[in-house]
Amino acid sequence: MKQIVFIVCVFLGLTAYAQVSQDSTSVYKKRVLETTEIDILSSYYSQDGDNAAVSGGIGTEELTDATATFVVAIPLNDDDVLTIDAGVSAYTSASSSNINPFDDGVADPFQASSGASSSDVWANMTGSYSHSSDDRNSIWSAKVSVSTEYDYFSLGFGGSYTRLFNEKNTEVSINASAYLDTWNAIYPIELRPFGANGSGLGNSLFTRNTIVGNPNYNPKFTEFADESRNSYNLGFGFSQILHRDVQGSLALDLVQQQGLLSTPFQRVYFADVADSFIENFQLADAVEELPDTRFKVALGGRLNWYLNEIVTLRTFYRYYFDDWGINSHTASLEVPIKITDKFTLYPSYRFYNQTAADYFYPYETALSTLDFYTSDYDLSEYSSNQFGFGVSYTDIFTKAHLWKFGLKSVDLKFYKYDRNTSFSSSIITTGIKFLMD
Amino acid sequence: MIKKLSLLALIVISLSSCVVVKEYEKVNLNDPDMALSDKKVDRNVTTMHSYREAAAGANGGKTGGGCGCN
Repeated sequence: MKQIVFIVCVFLGLTAYAQVSQDSTSVYKKRVLETTEIDILSSYYSQDGDNAAVSGGIGTEELTDATATFVVAIPLNDDDVLTIDAGVSAYTSASSSNINPFDDGVADPFQASSGASSSDVWANMTGSYSHSSDDRNSIWSAKVSVSTEYDYFSLGFGGSYTRLFNEKNTEVSINASAYLDTWNAIYPIELRPFGANGSGLGNSLFTRNTIVGNPNYNPKFTEFADESRNSYNLGFGFSQILHRDVQGSLALDLVQQQGLLSTPFQRVYFADVADSFIENFQLADAVEELPDTRFKVALGGRLNWYLNEIVTLRTFYRYYFDDWGINSHTASLEVPIKITDKFTLYPSYRFYNQTAADYFYPYETALSTLDFYTSDYDLSEYSSNQFGFGVSYTDIFTKAHLWKFGLKSVDLKFYKYDRNTSFSSSIITTGIKFLMD
Repeated sequence: MIKKLSLLALIVISLSSCVVVKEYEKVNLNDPDMALSDKKVDRNVTTMHSYREAAAGANGGKTGGGCGCN
């Protein structure tokens, strides 16, 4: 806690320092946003691995996701901008399909099932409003967001204040937001008969199928009473121009989460409980249990250097820790290379590592006497490497047109992500920007 | 940890006091590739990281809300 107080003090100190050389000179008032801008973003993501959390740390993690997002920024007047951000994401997940692995074929954690939980659609809409002062040295913003999927609903709101100093060489900001989320808890199919008003082993799942191994299947299961999850974020930012070719920034984010932080359909298999199976699928001993609070701290820094007219260096580093015992380092480097006045290449590399959460146990290693346990490998110790490559086309004159909109830029990027476990993923993303005439 | 952060703060303060870059000198700093945030096209990559990794935040990305549990 002392460390956090110190970090906050450092940021407040930087703010106070910056105020010493405040710039109050009135200058020509340029519109914050000259014209309406439209960004069309899309991506296709795929992943695979052998440590699915839905099946207790074993089983396929195969997942694909296609996302499309529209971002429209509208200048309301010289000072104010309204931004509407709407997106839809459709995914298919082999591991989620195994929430009910018994709906067709032979049940197996390494094979997808075809049930309702094998796919879902996530939809999001965010509206934000920003106001800049006449001298453009102060910026207020507020936002509201809503997102939904079959078993989850999220309502978010927040705001930020940014102040520029030293002839706009220094910038400090503070932001706060809250997300009020609600689960519609979905449990593994074999646990539902052991919930309130369930019939236990008298359920048709167990009378239609034969339990092999331990026939006296008796999981540790109680439905979650609280299905809310709230996240409160407080962030501080500081950026500084260091040279006519170099600028950097520091950011500190504090996040307090409370409520249902466990994922209700992620199974756990205990080391001290005899195993029960239907076909090739091991029946859950429990679902993961995690504390109902979590405090996260992330401290990040960026440093960008315009080397010359061709090459720019973009660097990022972040240190993260939380009270679940996770410590993490993230470092990345991107080197934009302008090959013509219209085309830029974007090779990049990113390294990430994290320690395991205190409550992480691989398959069949947790004990039933523990209070908290999970076999979600996203909370395990691992490191990852990500290589990326992209190309961007920019036409500052927006010659190509679609109705009233001129094409400003087209971005295409591909990233390959590999953990030092069995998990790997790849994503291809595109971004198209139009400006209204 | 505290020593490292103190050193970092000192470096930032000392560097920022070196020079004030005038508006007309900011041509290179105004290059889109010099922005101190991720490009919009990278948004879904950042979202993927926040779902698959424990660490999130301090990069201008989302730091809470949503499930990302599949």
